[in-house]
Amino acid sequence: MASSPLLTKVESPLPPPAPIQPVSGSPLVNLYNRFASWRTSLGLPNPGSVENLQKEVKATHLTNYMFDGFRADLSKALSVNPMFSVTHSFALGSQTAAPSYNFGAMFANNSVFMQGNIDHDGNVNGRFNQGWTADSVTKAQYQLSQQAGHNMLQLEHDYLGQDYSINIKAMNPSPVDTTGIYLGSYLQSVTKNLALGFEVVHQRQTPEMTESTTSYLAKYTSTDKNWIATATVQPMGIVQATYWQKLSEKVDVAADLQLIAAPVRRDAIATLGAKYDLRLSTFRAQLDSTGKVSALLEQRFAPSFVFTVAGEIDHFKNSAKVGVGVMIESPSMSPEEMQAAMQSPPATPF
Amino acid sequence: MPSEETKERIIKAVELGRTVLHYSWIPFIIYVGYTRSSPQPSLIKLISPLA
Repeated sequence: MASSPLLTKVESPLPPPAPIQPVSGSPLVNLYNRFASWRTSLGLPNPGSVENLQKEVKATHLTNYMFDGFRADLSKALSVNPMFSVTHSFALGSQTAAPSYNFGAMFANNSVFMQGNIDHDGNVNGRFNQGWTADSVTKAQYQLSQQAGHNMLQLEHDYLGQDYSINIKAMNPSPVDTTGIYLGSYLQSVTKNLALGFEVVHQRQTPEMTESTTSYLAKYTSTDKNWIATATVQPMGIVQATYWQKLSEKVDVAADLQLIAAPVRRDAIATLGAKYDLRLSTFRAQLDSTGKVSALLEQRFAPSFVFTVAGEIDHFKNSAKVGVGVMIESPSMSPEEMQAAMQSPPATPF
Repeated sequence: MPSEETKERIIKAVELGRTVLHYSWIPFIIYVGYTRSSPQPSLIKLISPLA
């Protein structure tokens, strides 16, 4: 494997860039140094990556957490530092997906993150992240399947600067004729609260057929970071606006409005959601303008046992979905630690 | 532009790399995790969902 020699040495973070020194030399260098020190003196915060623009909204809404049927996850943390865990997931009885078994493995230390999933059909999903310094990360994501045409590779590099973030991404790049999808994004803090940016998508289906589109992004974070508003404008006439607010320590609310005003299709979807973080449970509720009401409860009955119930009613289509899930986490205790904790003679080694 | 022959070779190499990655990615993670974690877990714990 090509990446194995890389992993054998643990990268130590590089020293931070040397402070700007007043070099009396070329006027260009002087000008650059003056510009850099002026920029530092503004004290603008890093706006966060473009990918995480709507992170808080996505964590509050239950669109990404919704499931139906029965689900069981058995996860085993085998080591804490470096982090190493394996997961067995079973799912059945879903209206949309076939019953499945999934095995996952995850390894992470200070600079490397590796994750892999294989399902019962032999399809592999993988992620590999390599952190070079605290603010520079290269990521790879792939999906490998027995069937041709279902393979996906995505290479990405994230750089978080002092008051800006840059991300470049390539999806299915072909070394032969450079076809693929290429993305580049830039987000810059303009004031202490406001960040503006853009994202360019360059598609090359064939070397002759290329297409570029640019979308514009804005993010406003309140000074006490209790509310965040974002807006995304895409040239095809798609506007997405989100708002997230932390009402109290335990309650988050989020709203999302998506407007599509393309010549062929005019549509608007509004979603309103709330999340309650209680001591041993998390409750999410959501209502949207397509007539869907959904709720999800995650209840932790014991430190290693989580029970999840999800439900959704579509009032316009007159349909409903119910999901029940259990998650069991095995602790990463060795027999010695277990013995010390339980004060009883060890049972069989395993 | 590379010649047709080079193109063929690149496509073959990519295909081989893809197959290798497909079959070795999860064993590779398990190997790295198994050898590097402290304390080292037992092998049966690694594979069986019940252990």
